[in-house]
Amino acid sequence: MAFLLRRAQAALFTIACVMLMLFMLVRSVPGDMASIMLGPRATPELRARIVAEMGLDQNIFVQLWLFLTRVVRGDFGEDIISRRPIIDIVAEVLPNTLILAGTALFLSLVFGILLGLIAAKSRGSWADSLLGLLSVAFVSTPSLVVSIVLLLLFSRALHWFPVAGVGDSGDMLDQLAHLVLPATALALGWIGYIARLVRAALLETLTEHHIRTLRAYGVPEWRIAGIYALRLALVPLVSILGIGLGDLIGSAVFAELIFARPGIGSLIFNSIAVRNYPVVQAAVLIIILIYILANLAVDLINSRLDPRIARAMREGRQA
Amino acid sequence: MSVAVNNLSVDYRGHGPDLHAVRDVSFTIPPGRMLGLVGESGSGKSTVAFALMGLLQANARITSGDMQIGGRNYDLTKNATAPLRGRGLAMIFQDPLLSLNPVFTIGAHLTEILRVVAPREDAGRRRAMAEEALAKVKLTDPRRRLDQYPHELSGGMRQRVVIAMALLAKPVLLIADEPTTALDVTVEASVMREICALRDELNCSVLLITHSLGLVTKYCDDMAVLYAGEMLEQGPARAIQLRPGHPYSRLLLDCEVAIDQPRHEPAMANSFKVIGGELPDLRAPVSGCVFAARCDRAVADCAVTVPSAVRLDAEGRHSARCLRIGVS
Ligand SMILES: Nc1ncnc2c1ncn2[C@@H]1O[C@H](COP(=O)(O)OP(=O)(O)O)[C@@H](O)[C@H]1O
Ligand code: SF4
Ligand SMILES: [Mg+2]
Repeated sequence: MAFLLRRAQAALFTIACVMLMLFMLVRSVPGDMASIMLGPRATPELRARIVAEMGLDQNIFVQLWLFLTRVVRGDFGEDIISRRPIIDIVAEVLPNTLILAGTALFLSLVFGILLGLIAAKSRGSWADSLLGLLSVAFVSTPSLVVSIVLLLLFSRALHWFPVAGVGDSGDMLDQLAHLVLPATALALGWIGYIARLVRAALLETLTEHHIRTLRAYGVPEWRIAGIYALRLALVPLVSILGIGLGDLIGSAVFAELIFARPGIGSLIFNSIAVRNYPVVQAAVLIIILIYILANLAVDLINSRLDPRIARAMREGRQA
Repeated sequence: MSVAVNNLSVDYRGHGPDLHAVRDVSFTIPPGRMLGLVGESGSGKSTVAFALMGLLQANARITSGDMQIGGRNYDLTKNATAPLRGRGLAMIFQDPLLSLNPVFTIGAHLTEILRVVAPREDAGRRRAMAEEALAKVKLTDPRRRLDQYPHELSGGMRQRVVIAMALLAKPVLLIADEPTTALDVTVEASVMREICALRDELNCSVLLITHSLGLVTKYCDDMAVLYAGEMLEQGPARAIQLRPGHPYSRLLLDCEVAIDQPRHEPAMANSFKVIGGELPDLRAPVSGCVFAARCDRAVADCAVTVPSAVRLDAEGRHSARCLRIGVS
């Protein structure tokens, strides 16, 4: 529990820093904020509204205070263009991104671990070499390229999967069909990476003495590899998943653009294009929040996987 | 029924010529008895142990040997004993700090063994059996231990956990490869007591591998002396201690006396160092007696003639391989 508190403190500190940075970034754009944001849309009323909402006519510290107190309450203000609360705009598309990144993460884990296990158990064989080759190919192809290739091949040429959008909101199957290609595009690199990681970790673990102990007592080889060695091999894997989720959400921005999926990525992109900074601010903050939560979850999972990490964390050592 | 190992030879492949780690080793262990296999580091003790378990490293080849256990004969060159692991064969390892999986509880280890040896029991019953086994090896507070992780236990306690695993497996042959070498001298006696108690409870054959003569003379019924992969002398521990037949055994026992430590302590000390010289190159072909280079009684013939086993008692249980037995 003490460890959780410490982690929460660190997380809060990070969030505070990020908010401060966002606040300053937006305000560091040279020139008159209101005209920059409004561009050609600028009318005297809109200008006045922005100035009032963001407190632009007041002292910078008052502006910061205003910004912080609102954000803490989940109030990111009202969108000047649509006049809807910004938080609603973000919340509307957030699930799409989370589903996309979550599915990609799930695919990465399932296939990455499976392929890693197969490669390790068939070490030195043609299957191992083939998996090695594939993994490296997966890792070294940017998800942007994979997205475009998948789109051209499976949607445009073969018509197996829909081209754009997220699918009908009531139709699960349709939504799934829309999810397949972008999720695969995002996952492929991570599948390759995880397969390599799991293979290496497994091969190392399988030579350890405690594995020999289990063998000496006749424990079946599949249980040794799939349970006892795998659990140890998962510790380094889980550690990189926090970064993994961040990377997945990052690449989701491109996948959402290419597959024309509404989501945080396309929202940020479109908002930057029209210089709608308050929306960018809110979206970025939400992503950072997810990232921090993911890393917190990773630590918790790892401390469940490896009791030695739990102890190290309790004792305040670096795990 | 005795466990018998016949003509075991093991090579290791690598760069250059094969390394002949074990050459034509045979021994017999009656049920309820403990055979102490002694030899200095590198003499091939662990190779013998892992060959019997079918757990040798990938670059090892068993070139000859079979094992009789439970009234049946198994061809070691075909790894025929592998299915006996956990079902007749059990092993205790040198380093208890490494021999348990750090991310699984003690209970998980023991119940996993029970999946193998008692597949019909349900999970609750297995847990109860595991707790019982921990109590038998005198681990305090066995119920709590089940949910603890290896790092929460001391080395001696972890070794008891492995002994409990062996107890659950009810082996016909228990192999203990230097079970106390990595432990503090103060816990050596208690760990050895548990191994003896296990032997007496199961009436199984025990192969105790050690580089400590003190351990052998204190706990073992029989003794076998291994040198550079070859068996030099074997027989009842007491008989060898009183009347060593082989110059190597005599030198070892002399060191033991000269150092004059209490019997159970030299497990840490290595009396082999006291004898001058080093193990011969195991890759080179052996001509004559393997011990010739370090022997204080060697004569010219020792370098060319391979000694065969000479009987030293009426029952034929004590024998040694030296050309100069009976020659003064
Ligand atoms: N995997 C291996 N490859 C090559 N040589 C090995 C291997 N394992 C052991 N050896 C060699 O075999 C000999 C016997 O080793 P070992 O059985 O471990 O001896 P001991 O247990 O008596 O110390 C040593 O010379 C050692 O270097
Ligand atoms: S045969 Fe010769 S060298 Fe070998 S132990 Fe006997 S006396 Fe020594
Ligand atoms: Mg050894």
